[in-house]
Amino acid sequence: MITIENLTKYYGKNRAVNNISFTINDNEILGFLGPNGAGKSTTMNMIAGYLPMTAGKVTICGSDISKEPVKAKRNIGYLPEIPPVYPDMRVREYLSFCAGLKRIPMTKKSSEITRVMQLLKITDVKDKLIKNLSKGYKQRVGFAQALLGDPKFLILDEPTVGLDPKQVTEVRNIITDLKKDHSVIFSSHILSEVSAVCDRVVIINKGDIKAIDTIENLEKQTGGSLTLHVKIKGSRTTAANIIEMVKGVEEIVKIEAEGNDFYEFIVHIAGDGDAVRSDIMSELLKNSIHITEIYTEKPDLESVFVQLINSKTSKSGIEELYEEIKAETADNAEKEEE
Amino acid sequence: MFSVYKKDLQSFFYTPFAYVVTALFLFMFTYMFNSGLGTLDQATFSFTFPDIFYNVIIFFIFLIPILTMRTFADERKFGTEVLLMTSPVNVVQIILGKYLANITVFIFMLASAMFFPIFTAIKGEVVVSQLTCAYLGFFLWGAMYIAIGQLISCFTENSIIAAIFGEIVMFVFLFIDNFAMTDFIAQYPAIQAALYAFAAQPRFAYFSQGFIRLSDIVFFLSAIIVCLVWNYIAIEKRRWNRG
Repeated sequence: MITIENLTKYYGKNRAVNNISFTINDNEILGFLGPNGAGKSTTMNMIAGYLPMTAGKVTICGSDISKEPVKAKRNIGYLPEIPPVYPDMRVREYLSFCAGLKRIPMTKKSSEITRVMQLLKITDVKDKLIKNLSKGYKQRVGFAQALLGDPKFLILDEPTVGLDPKQVTEVRNIITDLKKDHSVIFSSHILSEVSAVCDRVVIINKGDIKAIDTIENLEKQTGGSLTLHVKIKGSRTTAANIIEMVKGVEEIVKIEAEGNDFYEFIVHIAGDGDAVRSDIMSELLKNSIHITEIYTEKPDLESVFVQLINSKTSKSGIEELYEEIKAETADNAEKEEE
Repeated sequence: MFSVYKKDLQSFFYTPFAYVVTALFLFMFTYMFNSGLGTLDQATFSFTFPDIFYNVIIFFIFLIPILTMRTFADERKFGTEVLLMTSPVNVVQIILGKYLANITVFIFMLASAMFFPIFTAIKGEVVVSQLTCAYLGFFLWGAMYIAIGQLISCFTENSIIAAIFGEIVMFVFLFIDNFAMTDFIAQYPAIQAALYAFAAQPRFAYFSQGFIRLSDIVFFLSAIIVCLVWNYIAIEKRRWNRG
């Protein structure tokens, strides 16, 4: 188990990571999400023992990384953002060097190198110079290095960057397989990847933890309101009034003009999506407003993510929305005149 | 420590690097050797190997930084420093491993230069005791310069800058005693004494005359230790300051 307590990092006066705490359990895949510059890499560097922390404590299998670094580091394999490979070395040579660094006994060394090379499918490039390899291969060589010696914890900083879609799937499968007897922390900004692989997610922004939870729970957080898209032909004022009257509609978030008399309404609805949808449809039809398209959008991790990252969401009243559209159409008209 | 040593040594010997540096060293040595032989009849001093070493060192200060420039600069440039720092080895082991690798290449260079004394011994006579002292003195001097070069290499991620700065620093150290002897500095005996204490050249002179003095050995060894400890502090300091 890795315990992270009150971890803080300052670069000069600049605060990169602010007092974060979480744990990584055994046999768990923990996703680390955040926009660029959120402090993901800094945190991972601190967990791996590359950067010393300004304050706080990282404990890996009971050993404090700043007090017993060598003991703690034996339990981790780390793949940094840029794969730490020597361009002038051959793949096998490099892995042999890393095996030496990780103090793998001479008798096991060769079989261990063969194992990781097979796992990451780099056996066919084992005699090539690393500088001649493509980005994807370099990434995999770096990953192979992290797996050497079968460490209990793997810290992977954006492991799938630069890989083609097929390789991405392969790497994801490897990570899922590793779960059997390892724990993995991996950072990414690709949400689908995180939701496909991870058990729990830590969302971080500007050095602060925004959420730590399972994906299901995070999805439920915004699950209270579904987003409904209604495209209509007809008067937008009438349509807006009708939609607002329907039971279950929380608010109209946005109205977009899509050409002459065509409008798209984005509506937040509560409760049973299907019932509300049919109510809206029948009400609109009664008032002879034509519906061209209607669909519900399920809240996914992406919207959770965006919501958590932008803690300030702009919610404006319906009057303001009208004003916006008016201004937009006026602008367009002006442009056309020009 | 051994794996770092082995890796660095491989990077020297699996590439043309070590051979090119050694060839350049031998080229200088040959030049001095031949010019010494050529002017034998008009020479005021007798032709000795310590003399050759003495002359070679001026070119040598351009060679040592080339040897040491990549030591830490390249690790930073390629991002492989992270690998070393997150492996279960401590910084002291990394520094010593790298230092020993550099020293090994230096020994390889010195060993190649053995050709000349052997050649001379076949054709003439070599004063073995003096030669041994000169070799020891030259080795210690070189080992000190390697420690300085390695230290400078950890301040930058650009190996060319590391080489140029190394050359400047070593140049200053080489001529510090000449500078101390100038009339201007002679006005201030305290400064002169302080500067002179840092001078390696007079100490080498003792070796070349066949003296092995404990104080000289202590001078070189303490300089090496100071540089390596500074190296350790510099690396740790940078880890604290940035990411």
